[in-house]
Amino acid sequence: MPAEPAFLLRNVTKVFGGIPALADIDLRIEHGEHVALVGPSGAGKTTLIGLLNGMLVPTRGEIQALGHDLARLSVPARRKIQHQIGTIHQQYHLVNNLRVIHNVNAGRLGGWSLTRSLVSLFWPLEIESARRALEQVGIPEKIYEVTAHLSGGQQQRVALARTMVQDPRVILADEPIASLDPERGRELMDLLRQLSRATGKTLVTSIHSVEFARSHFQRVIGLREGRIAFDCAAPDLTPAMIDALYRIDRPDAARGKRPDA
Amino acid sequence: MSEQAPGRPALRRPPWFNRRTAWLVIFVAGLVWSLDQAGVFDGPVLNRGGWTLALQFVRAALHPDLSGALVRLALDSTLTTLAFAVAGTALCVALGLVFGILSSEVFWQLVFPDRGRRRPLRHRAPLVALRAALAVPRAIHEAIWGLFFINILGLDPLVAVLAIAIPFGAITARIFAAILDETPREALRALECSGVSPARALLYGLLPQALPDLLSYTFYRLECAIRAAAVLGLIGAGGLGYQILLSLQSLRYDQVWTFLYALILLSALTDGWSSFLRRRLHLANRIDLQPGLPSRDRPSHRIEPVAKRSLQAMAVLIPLSFWYIHADYARLLAPRTLRLLAGVVHDALPPRMDGGLLASLVRLSMQTLSMSILAIALAAVGGLVLSVPAASNFVLPGGILGGGASRAQAVQGALWFAASRGLLLVLRALSEAIWALVALFFLFPGILPGALGLGLYNLGILGRLMAEVTENVDQRPLRALQAQGASAVQVLVYGVLPATLPRCLAYVLYRWEVCIRATVMVGFVGAGGIGRLLGEQMSSFDYRGVATSLIAMLVLTFGVDSLSSWIRRALRV
Repeated sequence: MPAEPAFLLRNVTKVFGGIPALADIDLRIEHGEHVALVGPSGAGKTTLIGLLNGMLVPTRGEIQALGHDLARLSVPARRKIQHQIGTIHQQYHLVNNLRVIHNVNAGRLGGWSLTRSLVSLFWPLEIESARRALEQVGIPEKIYEVTAHLSGGQQQRVALARTMVQDPRVILADEPIASLDPERGRELMDLLRQLSRATGKTLVTSIHSVEFARSHFQRVIGLREGRIAFDCAAPDLTPAMIDALYRIDRPDAARGKRPDA
Repeated sequence: MSEQAPGRPALRRPPWFNRRTAWLVIFVAGLVWSLDQAGVFDGPVLNRGGWTLALQFVRAALHPDLSGALVRLALDSTLTTLAFAVAGTALCVALGLVFGILSSEVFWQLVFPDRGRRRPLRHRAPLVALRAALAVPRAIHEAIWGLFFINILGLDPLVAVLAIAIPFGAITARIFAAILDETPREALRALECSGVSPARALLYGLLPQALPDLLSYTFYRLECAIRAAAVLGLIGAGGLGYQILLSLQSLRYDQVWTFLYALILLSALTDGWSSFLRRRLHLANRIDLQPGLPSRDRPSHRIEPVAKRSLQAMAVLIPLSFWYIHADYARLLAPRTLRLLAGVVHDALPPRMDGGLLASLVRLSMQTLSMSILAIALAAVGGLVLSVPAASNFVLPGGILGGGASRAQAVQGALWFAASRGLLLVLRALSEAIWALVALFFLFPGILPGALGLGLYNLGILGRLMAEVTENVDQRPLRALQAQGASAVQVLVYGVLPATLPRCLAYVLYRWEVCIRATVMVGFVGAGGIGRLLGEQMSSFDYRGVATSLIAMLVLTFGVDSLSSWIRRALRV
């Protein structure tokens, strides 16, 4: 295990159109940790995931991902690091018109030459490993189906299989179960935990459900209005911390008492 | 977990030869056949004698004639072309409205309410008959109408206006009918139930809702009409095209370029106006209004101030245009015109059916078909390639292929974008006939220069349309691929093309239908095919021959139309 942490954020601020989405974040995530990001909508969870996988560049501060500053690397070098970081999204972000096999193989694109990726579109390559990944997520029989014909839960499994063949050192997941029903959601969370444990991967997941954060992760980070509200081990999470995190400030409720408002 | 479970169901790899690859094979075979028809495999096609002229022509692009007299002439003929287009569009929309309403299902349901029963044949017959009748003027290219009217009216500006109004009117009627039929009918039903007469029910219950679509299509027609007006000049109807022809024949290439630049400018302005208006009205792409294409969700919309101002501008432009062209309107109903018209009809019947003509028409039909195939293949491939840099969300900074945000990359991306947009604009501003004339500098007359002319022009149109398709692709899967470390080209191949190809293919097939009609235009300026024969027959007043050639052309057009919609259905695009 290398000495440097998986992610190291120093004083990171990200501003969108003048409004800070994240402010002064300092964070260290070690290899092999399973971290849940919780917090109300708009707290900056998705922005943080985007910064970690290099799709966003911080306005201020520095991010080390796997020991490299993604903002400073050349494009090919950045792609090499990004290939080590797999991301799963709430809306799956699959290419709907392609067969499942191609969406799974898309996880390999960072390691494939252009010729190889072109050939595979016409004559699918690496079927055995794609098949294995689909078996792990429980839908091997869908390998040649058109992705758009799959249900939401199945599509999220395809996205997971894509990340499995990518075989990254880190898995980032942005609200992976927000579009699934509770039962499918639990299955997927179990799968995610089991697969990252078996391969010793770092896992960072933003999630709405505090129960899952407690039951499936070692460490929970609470984000509120772009800042870290708490950062603790999952067993140390108290109901008071959760209430404070999700509390709704009502400026109008206070003002409502004044007759002139 | 990697060992193979023995009881695992064996999933067979789907065969590589499926319906899609079958169509690919047919397409390649058609392409090879077309190249063979074009004589590529048996002898030289390049006319080396024309190289010096071609070089002179290209050099003259840098030194257009900007003397006062010529610039004034260019301005005057630009205005003439614009006036032809506006007057033609005004008539075309009037025709389109009348016949569009008459050929819509919804109108006949108002006239003969079905009350839940199947309507008797005599109630359905008028619609079927009218739709069939409208198919004929639509299938005949405006250039043929132009030559026809020149023979009857002489070289009068009315020729250009009528030649635009009639075929465009028939096309517009079809689109308007489709728009009316697709407009929600609840409001209309409500009026109908309360006993309002059909005309008033349409006016209050249907037309207001359909108006944004009707308007958007009208401005698209104006765009087309400007190109058509320029092209009609090439057959002698006046305006920019006529001046281009005169300068080209007297080898004054510097003057040709002055007029070409004027045409590009005019075309760019209408193009920009039309697309600005469409964006403001939140309307989908203009060609999405073609019946038979998969329709996109059209958001509900209202008439915006910009559309209102456009309408006001048109209200001023239309009378001005009719005045500016100085047409001899009395000539329309003059006894001489009517006599000539009757004479043409009399001379054209019955169509000539001798074996020699029929044999050569079969040969020419094959050539015309292959010309259209070569043209659309060039346009499809070229358009697809150029559409990537021309899409605003790709090479520009922040775009998918924009790379990092370094300054040099940003400048490079912007250059790619501007160059590809500009090239597409020039390609579609100068119509197929002008490109064919240019191609005739260095190619021997025949199928190839015609295919090249048609191909380049349609490349300009398809490239722009495909760029719009690409701009509308869902960005998130592309970002997801990129976040995994996929390269720009891999994102293109795995993310963009799978999402855009079906729609692009639908556009290609639609433009193929347009291409086969437009083969007559490149034929008129000297490339091959039925068009060339038609032009010769027209100018030698061989109307019985013209009738036969027209029938051949109609058969070809309807054949390609049905083949195209069959392929669209088969590929479900």
